[in-house]
Amino acid sequence: MRRFILRRVLLSLVTLWLLATIVFIIANVLPNDVGRTILGPFAPQASVDALNERLGTNDPLLEQYARSIRSLVTLDFGNSFVSGQPVIPQLGAAIGRSAKLAGLALLLTIPVAIIAGLYAGRRRDRLADRAIVLLGVTLSSIPEFVIGTFLVVLVGVQLGWLPVLAMIPDTAGPIDQLRFLLMPALAMAIVYFGYIARMTRAGTIEVLESDYIRTATMKGLTTGQTMRRHVLRNALVPTVAVIGVQIGYLFGGIIGVEKIFNYNGMGQLMLFAAQRKDIPMLQAGAIVVGIVYMVATLTADLIIAWMNPRARLDQDR
Amino acid sequence: MAAPINPTAPIAPPIDARAERAQARREARAVLLRRPGFLIGMVILGMWAVFAILGQAITPYDPFNDFSLGHQPPSAEHLFGTDRLGRDVLSRVMFGSRDVLIVAPLAAILGVVVGTLLGLVMGYNRGIIDDVLSRIVEAFLSLPVILVALLTLVVLGSSTLVVVLVVGILFTPIVARTVRSAVLAERQLDYVTAAKLRGESGLFIMAREIFPNVRGPIVVELTVRFGYAIFTVATLSFLGVGIQPPSPDWGLTVSEEYTNMISGVWWATLFPALAIASCVIAVNLIADALQSVASE
Amino acid sequence: MDYSRLDRVRRSASPQELDLVESFAQGRITRRQFIKRSAVVGLSMASVSAVIAACSNTPSATTPGSQLPAGSASPGASASGSAAAGGTIKIATQRPAGPLDPIGMQDLSAYGLIAQSFEFLAAMDPATGDIGPGLAESWSPNDDNSVWTFKLRQGVKWQDGSDFKGEDVVETMKRLVAAGNAGIKGVIDANSTKVIDPATVEFTLVSPNGNFPYLVSVFNAQTCITPAGYATGTTLDGLANGTGPWKMDSYDAQTGAKYSRNDAWWGGKTPLDAVEWVFFDTIGPMVTAYQGGQIDAIVQFDVLTGAALFNDANFTVNAARTSNHRQIWMRTDTGQFTDVRVRQALAYSLDRDAMIQQLFKGQADLGNDHVIAPLYPYFDPSVPQRTRDVAKAKQLLADAGVPSLSATLHVAQLQEIPDLAVLMQSQAAEAGITLTPAVESLDTFYGAQWCPADPKDPPCSGAAELGIVDYGHRATPDVFLNAALQTKGVWNSSQYSNPEFDAAFVEFQKAVGVDAQKAACKKIETILNNDVAIAVPYFYQFLSGNSKKFTGVYSSALGQMFVERASQVA
Repeated sequence: MRRFILRRVLLSLVTLWLLATIVFIIANVLPNDVGRTILGPFAPQASVDALNERLGTNDPLLEQYARSIRSLVTLDFGNSFVSGQPVIPQLGAAIGRSAKLAGLALLLTIPVAIIAGLYAGRRRDRLADRAIVLLGVTLSSIPEFVIGTFLVVLVGVQLGWLPVLAMIPDTAGPIDQLRFLLMPALAMAIVYFGYIARMTRAGTIEVLESDYIRTATMKGLTTGQTMRRHVLRNALVPTVAVIGVQIGYLFGGIIGVEKIFNYNGMGQLMLFAAQRKDIPMLQAGAIVVGIVYMVATLTADLIIAWMNPRARLDQDR
Repeated sequence: MAAPINPTAPIAPPIDARAERAQARREARAVLLRRPGFLIGMVILGMWAVFAILGQAITPYDPFNDFSLGHQPPSAEHLFGTDRLGRDVLSRVMFGSRDVLIVAPLAAILGVVVGTLLGLVMGYNRGIIDDVLSRIVEAFLSLPVILVALLTLVVLGSSTLVVVLVVGILFTPIVARTVRSAVLAERQLDYVTAAKLRGESGLFIMAREIFPNVRGPIVVELTVRFGYAIFTVATLSFLGVGIQPPSPDWGLTVSEEYTNMISGVWWATLFPALAIASCVIAVNLIADALQSVASE
Repeated sequence: MDYSRLDRVRRSASPQELDLVESFAQGRITRRQFIKRSAVVGLSMASVSAVIAACSNTPSATTPGSQLPAGSASPGASASGSAAAGGTIKIATQRPAGPLDPIGMQDLSAYGLIAQSFEFLAAMDPATGDIGPGLAESWSPNDDNSVWTFKLRQGVKWQDGSDFKGEDVVETMKRLVAAGNAGIKGVIDANSTKVIDPATVEFTLVSPNGNFPYLVSVFNAQTCITPAGYATGTTLDGLANGTGPWKMDSYDAQTGAKYSRNDAWWGGKTPLDAVEWVFFDTIGPMVTAYQGGQIDAIVQFDVLTGAALFNDANFTVNAARTSNHRQIWMRTDTGQFTDVRVRQALAYSLDRDAMIQQLFKGQADLGNDHVIAPLYPYFDPSVPQRTRDVAKAKQLLADAGVPSLSATLHVAQLQEIPDLAVLMQSQAAEAGITLTPAVESLDTFYGAQWCPADPKDPPCSGAAELGIVDYGHRATPDVFLNAALQTKGVWNSSQYSNPEFDAAFVEFQKAVGVDAQKAACKKIETILNNDVAIAVPYFYQFLSGNSKKFTGVYSSALGQMFVERASQVA
């Protein structure tokens, strides 16, 4: 077990280094003038040159690469090219906001989706199952920006039930914050319902068809007992795996939803940084999202190992 | 944006004889045609394909150059209303299928072809190549697809070709991982060992022995990727880095019009949004049917 | 007409002032233009009132600036209902695209944020919408507009407690010259500014300029006065300072900025306690946020997205005429547009009225293929307006020997420009011109189509043969003329070069008095309208606004919203 975790952490470090390199390559693949991008086409050349000099974007690429890898090791990403403010506090605030939103979205979607998935799995190919599968496919097919817009107009503007934008005042208490976050979280929850429900259904069906459940049924256990003792634990293995992966993506920000609700999470931060060639911010953001993804998947794997000891941890993934 | 994963990809059973495989395909086709989901999906997708191919020949108005009063609500004259420049929304929604139905399949095919090659190589060879490639795949997978696509498109600038390449390449690691795990299961089977004992080259074994047996999951993967390609391209267009104006592309139209919903102009956004949804749902229905047939 | 009153003013007036008074007295310029110009040449407000009263049949019946002024937006400042002291106003703006660096900044959001804390020699007068006293209480030129003397306001303090001095102005100007500020480039150099006495600063210009006060005013946003020891590159959030009414408390590049009252401000106590700027990426959510009561004012919005605001009884929309415009450039030196008849043909194919209706719902002025916007006092309306004439366009093409023409129209993904390209495509098609719009990201468009860095000489000689570029509001047309149209201008994408035009531009810059400026402008307008190196279809209005819960909010067309006199309606 310890060896497994150690191996995964070491591999994660390699992956992070690769990630930083990929972002660096993407950001520098074309000859570009960072100062010009930030200041715009009408800025005088003298200002652009001064800015480039200050940012060090005229230095040889190798030197810039060394700098960015050093920042990865020291976790000091310096100042944003765009605002001139340190990267870490801005990133910290954004990831905090993303975490809040993602947490609420998962809270809304996981219980409903798991119950729906289990229910569908037990009634395979019956009407309820068909309906849940179709609903899942449909909901996860509609891009979240579309769902978000419909929610804004319907719930926010027409009905006036919830604030139309997720701009939380500093003074808002927890309940008040919830009101602001409910709509964007709902938009995200609706999209993720489909994934999780379908995964749970698939897991349930697989377990129900396996020999040991047939044995249990033959032993005379009631359906409820079987479900509790055997099915749940094993059937949720793929569900946990998929949730682990999705958490990583949720923290990375759901740009469409953030854009519509004007919520300043990781997605908007990264989008803006990409548009303005804010390389320190991009790099730090990518690393943070990468770390969250790795921690989430590792945690999911550990939970799976605890749920189902027969799953060999070091097997090929 | 969820990058799709498919941890429970079905693995086709190994069958040796070619005739048996042909027989199985015929049976699968028959089963497919009996599934309502598959048929509904094909009808919807077929409809969009017809609109895309015939284009201006069948739209009620010129989708580009016919300007009347802006933002008229749906009426007998304009069934879906008009957009901000007074163009007919119905005509634009119909024509809007063209770009996405060119870009999305190309991206899906690119991703699946390259991903399959990578997956075969990784799964069959194992060792150092597999380790290195797996790391790179993992690094790509740890970032949301949309985010990386966005970053790349912002840097490279958007053109249809670049969108196809970027989306295709981003799908590659996901496909590679699915194919790799399918190949891993195959390579331990007797027929592969037999071929090795016969002294066949690795290339031959991958191309002629393993590939035909993992074709099932690959076909399913292709359909699934197609659905996600539509989703991804629409989202990128919504974010302004996908298909560019003056195309009547759906995602682009939503991004141009969604702010007007606040003033009560819902039709210019709703109909293209429904078009996106219907198109992805159709593809997913087909993929779902294929998947369950393949696993039976 | 009350001649004795008029004469009193005449006797004490400088040549420029005299010229202005005569122009107005003889009815050659409107009262609004007279008020605007008098601020520039430094005619005192008392004299202005005296002249207006003298020339009016009903003396002092109207106050200056009672009409909606040009280039600015100022709501009816008449507060109905009693004003409550205190409170905070929340202003929505686009997220700044760069650091809050008063010298290097280039976007309207940064202009707005900086102008809360820093002030200008010439401020914006909310009554006229034009320049008025700021850190300088008054100014005057010598006879040929080559030396300008500014009298500085006394008793002004920096927010850090030190005194505002003439040296601050001198050092600010040096920094601006070093940074290559587009407005003052070629007008002053590093040694132009001198402190004469503690209350006086003098500018000796490199070349005479009748519009100089505009160039050191709120309308050249980087010329805000920073302390003498200020290092270039310092940002407002890094070092909160300024002479202005608001002191920056906090700044988060992602979400917004907060300011509180500067108790030591020379203008006295502001009615409001605090100002909050809230950042958005797009305009749509700003409108939603206003409707949801989360913000009180919007710095800028567009007609289509903000349609709901026009119908909102609780929202004041301020529409200001501006020189904001789009230039459709055509290469005059190479490619398909070298024949002037081809360029004219494209210009004749445009239906400008339809564009203004469809893109701006009428909130724009007609353009006549030159950059002298109708709001400028020296705009000459006698040059005939070009209107759509498809037959003429076809005839011109036939004369030029090109019965059909196809070209790629390069545009950026920016505001209404892609839609403009679509309309142009459709309108030009009727004249037999096939345009294919190519919409690109901002970076690609500016860097590869509009003005590629290579080849360097002449500038922009790598530009595409046809495209549309955006130009923001300027208080004077100098930048449009020297950068986009003068031979070898830095943004001259059409590679236009006409010695006649260059001469007319020099004449305009040197012109003393409205008549001379207008005469020069007539030449400029005529030449540009005929040569069509650029087609200019419209000058659109700058839209801003605020909730009627607040009065006394005013804004420039440069993203600066001023709330030091604003108060909440009880």
